[in-house]
Amino acid sequence: MAETVTRQKERRERLEDILVVDCDVHVHESPGELAPYCDMPWRKALENIADVQEYYLDIPGFSPGMTWYEARFPSGHEGRRMVHTPEQMREELSEIHVDIGVLFPDHLLKIAVITQDEYAAALARAYNSWLLDNWCSQELGLLGCVIACPQDPEDAAREIRRYAREPEIVGVYLPCAGLEPLWGHRKYDPIYEAAQETDLPVLLHSVTVVHPVFPFNLHVFETEFGRHICGHTFSIMANLVHMISSGVPVRYPQLRVALTEVGISWVPFLMNRMDKEYLERRREIPILEERPSHYLKKMYYATQPIEEPENLKDLATLMSLYDGENNTIFASDWPHHDFDHPMKVYQIPLSNEARRKVFGENALRLFKIDAQGRRLNL
Amino acid sequence: MASEIRKDDGEFENGAFASTGSHDRHSPGEAGAARREPVPEEADLAAMARERKEHVVGDASDFPAGSHQVVTVGGRQIGIFNINGEFYGLPNVCPHQTGPLCEGKATTGTLVARKEDDWKFRWDYEGEIVACPWHGLEYHVPTGRCLAFPNINLRRYEVVVEDGKVKVRV
Repeated sequence: MAETVTRQKERRERLEDILVVDCDVHVHESPGELAPYCDMPWRKALENIADVQEYYLDIPGFSPGMTWYEARFPSGHEGRRMVHTPEQMREELSEIHVDIGVLFPDHLLKIAVITQDEYAAALARAYNSWLLDNWCSQELGLLGCVIACPQDPEDAAREIRRYAREPEIVGVYLPCAGLEPLWGHRKYDPIYEAAQETDLPVLLHSVTVVHPVFPFNLHVFETEFGRHICGHTFSIMANLVHMISSGVPVRYPQLRVALTEVGISWVPFLMNRMDKEYLERRREIPILEERPSHYLKKMYYATQPIEEPENLKDLATLMSLYDGENNTIFASDWPHHDFDHPMKVYQIPLSNEARRKVFGENALRLFKIDAQGRRLNL
Repeated sequence: MASEIRKDDGEFENGAFASTGSHDRHSPGEAGAARREPVPEEADLAAMARERKEHVVGDASDFPAGSHQVVTVGGRQIGIFNINGEFYGLPNVCPHQTGPLCEGKATTGTLVARKEDDWKFRWDYEGEIVACPWHGLEYHVPTGRCLAFPNINLRRYEVVVEDGKVKVRV
């Protein structure tokens, strides 16, 4: 009789033996480093602020709107870790068992709040060029995402096409912090067009910022506890709702979409809520051919910050509600204050097969890379 | 940072803050720190005390009041704290995600709110709180208690000063 291998009897694979693709790690860009890559006249401004003291994601004229609205008491918590070189990143990712890391910016998580469209576009161009020059390395397992500057979608589309054939660029980062209008607005169509054409996935990434756009009037909270709960989550959800409303998955059926830094517990909620609304409001979004959750299940959901219920089995249950075994992708968010060591995701009771998918195989599919980080779609 | 998954193998199987489940294949290692150990009998206590080895980790002058540092003793990383002349030892592994619990820059106080103060913010436990540098989880050094989850208590290592030497019993 063939032996039935149940999840309980299966010997758990070691984390060291699993391919780990970390879909969200952060480099550290600075005005001084980007200046040489930046077009005039904006380069002058970057040079001018090169020596300004920086706090966590906070440099006036570069990354505005930091949220220190409360008293700052002394603590041993190091919430301001930064990584300054790819070698340092490689070393630190290896310590947390990560094989391949996908690079996102630090300060330019807030690029959408820059009021000058030309400056924002110049920053994005400078970052993309700087990133490829200084950080991306298939050898070190560090692959980059180019910024799609929402303030200038045509320029963003040009940037996507410019880097489309780079072996070490694997995605397009869509900034969400402080963004208006939301992703899904037709003005951003050139970006989806370029991403789909070049077979690069788009990855939405928000950050906590206080800004007078939905859902960033976060000053209503007296705590970072409140802002951090509501910043990333409502931002990504709002953007997703708007993308579904305008039928982005229908108009760009090959476009692969990933959502980062939102955890995973919200996914069944949003799918259910959208499906419910669709019953009553179909005529507002007649473009959809299927119910909204159908499209959401094809997107990818990064684990960080992974929720930590008392019983981690709850996460496995949650994942089963949105076909999570096949679309959940591990992310650490190293080196940020709320990063996840992979051991926490490792502890979720999953089969070896499901765990391998979450830690690496789903990401290989999202980015169309092999286990060594080489692009398969060039 | 640790060079491998810091010795928590299986200890936090069901999530760091769940009650301990079964630990079938994995040895607890350093993770025994956060496990609620059964209360030993008198005779057993004596036997255990005899079995524990004393390790000299330095001179008293190496551990001034208000400071703390991590030493490696018997294969374990232990944070030695000197709080106003009282010495304490805590494991350098946070039960949350295995962070280097004792490597934060400073012990500090923290904020509390009590009914008798009408829930107003009060700064308390000055110098007695260590926050894990990874995610800021706070522990009260003298008791090993996790402030956010009081059912989590770190193992405390006995640290004594004898003849000007600081010794840890492991």
